[in-house]
Amino acid sequence: MDISYLDLLMAQQEEFAAEVGGGGGVWVVADVVDGALAPVTLEALGLARTLADSLGAYVYGVLLGEGITALAQTLYQAGADGVRVADDPLLGRFALEPYLKVLSDLFEQERPEVVIFGATPQGSALAPRLAQRTGGGLIERITRASLDEATRTVVGAVPIYGGEYFELLACPAARPQFLTITPGAFPAPFMDTRRRGEPSSLPVEPVTPRVRLLGVAEGFAPPPLPLKRAPLIVAAGRQAGDFESVRALASVLGAQVAGDRGAYDAGWIGREQVVDVRGTTVAPQVYIAVGIQGDTFHNAAIEEARYIVAIHPDPEAPIFEVADLCVEAQPAQFLPELLEALKSGKT
Amino acid sequence: MRAIVVLGRVLDPAGIVVNRRAGRIFVNREEYILPPADRCALEAAMRIKDATGCEVIALPRALFPDDDVLRQALAIGADRAIYLSGRGPDCADDAFMASVLAAAIRQLGGADLVLTGATTLDTGWTQLGPRLAEILDWPQILDAWQVEVQDSMTVVQAVVPADGGYALAEADLPALVTIAAGALKLRYPNGVRLINVYRGIGAVAEALERWEWQTLLEERPTPVLERRGQEFPPERERGVRVSGSAAEMARAVAGALRQRLGR
Repeated sequence: MDISYLDLLMAQQEEFAAEVGGGGGVWVVADVVDGALAPVTLEALGLARTLADSLGAYVYGVLLGEGITALAQTLYQAGADGVRVADDPLLGRFALEPYLKVLSDLFEQERPEVVIFGATPQGSALAPRLAQRTGGGLIERITRASLDEATRTVVGAVPIYGGEYFELLACPAARPQFLTITPGAFPAPFMDTRRRGEPSSLPVEPVTPRVRLLGVAEGFAPPPLPLKRAPLIVAAGRQAGDFESVRALASVLGAQVAGDRGAYDAGWIGREQVVDVRGTTVAPQVYIAVGIQGDTFHNAAIEEARYIVAIHPDPEAPIFEVADLCVEAQPAQFLPELLEALKSGKT
Repeated sequence: MRAIVVLGRVLDPAGIVVNRRAGRIFVNREEYILPPADRCALEAAMRIKDATGCEVIALPRALFPDDDVLRQALAIGADRAIYLSGRGPDCADDAFMASVLAAAIRQLGGADLVLTGATTLDTGWTQLGPRLAEILDWPQILDAWQVEVQDSMTVVQAVVPADGGYALAEADLPALVTIAAGALKLRYPNGVRLINVYRGIGAVAEALERWEWQTLLEERPTPVLERRGQEFPPERERGVRVSGSAAEMARAVAGALRQRLGR
């Protein structure tokens, strides 16, 4: 890229900023969980950096919370050119109205071109209200993004029916363009530890939240999801060896436990948990078959599963013909390693 | 007290086949269903009606070509349903519909509570409810699993996910509450109401009104979204074998699972 092209891009950015009467730029609103940045915030910054480089714009991060000023340096390292911080006890816990007040005042002044949130409960609550308040467009849960440079419009790919196909959507006439990104869909950016900056503070006015949290919902348990609608299933077969490890894996992943006929015969699961065309057919996002040989009845019942991981010691096991990811190993030895890898977070 | 329930419809995914290689969607059975979250919102409205005797009015989530979802709501027990007719813009998005729905609620003389599904089945989007709450300047409670209106009929309480568990949240009425998919099981329709509403007989059929959406608004809202086409993921590659030591294979599987689950 030659310097004249960069000059042109920056001139376009300044032209846009002059037109709308603000600083423009690509903004990322950070999600802070337990005092740390959520991974999706860094992924959003990676996307913001890519978009901003093509637009010839600056990247800004916004941090809201209590005692979070130190996190600003992480935003700089992930690619932010500027960081605004609203560090106040009034923002200690996420509540819609105080957060909305800070952000809507900020965006009214800065007139961003693009604003990115994580598709998290906080992002999903804030982004639509800000989009409505500012007259912006909102594309939710995108998993890919490209740029229509002629109109400076972001084109987002939105998975339909859980990723069967993607709709490409854009908001060419609306500014700001709000995006929420699916956690894990975009790569985390390179962290440049030499980058540093001085964040600027945002004013926080006292605003009373209109929704009051009264405490833990005592005695409430969500209704059990039928196996056929479960999004994540860990199923055991005769070769699973240690069923407690299967349970532990399901617990770590937040999955439902199921099994084949063999697991039922072994007394590990109830009849309603048998995955089989004569029992329950399933269509989860992820199906993990632990020690399941994979007979015709079982394999037909998991045909609609989006992603199948099979763990079995026999390389010729029929389950490997339908699985996406095949692990040829003894489950009793492999599962403790998998649990360790999932808990440690290292890949 | 008046509760509005906003209901959508979606093409039953069981009736479609996506051919990734051809880059085409084949609709084998064109059947539209009430999305799971909207079913729960309708049940929540019915439970509030059972408890308080409030009036329940069903409104459509988009400008649908037919009024089937509204007839379903009447068969279940809604008191009134308003079908919004008239040709809309080609891409009537949630920003457009939020304006139309807010105008319809004003035309009805206001409401105390709006219930709708937290997410749509096809896109998983959540923005219609919060956009509507913003226009109405109401508080919003999102992703509720249980909803109750307190005896005084001035406060709504809901069970919502919080801090890895569930918390009780409350807001003064009027308020908007979105209901999580799977939260409640929709009751069966009353047989007589079901027959009458589809045959156009009696009071239940008369409870279905038709309003021209253009008459509700002085200024036509403009949709902000534009469709730029479709993309299809590459064909599924099955049978990828993981190799290495147990620890290496475990790390590879954990990485694949994390990527797949977005964690």
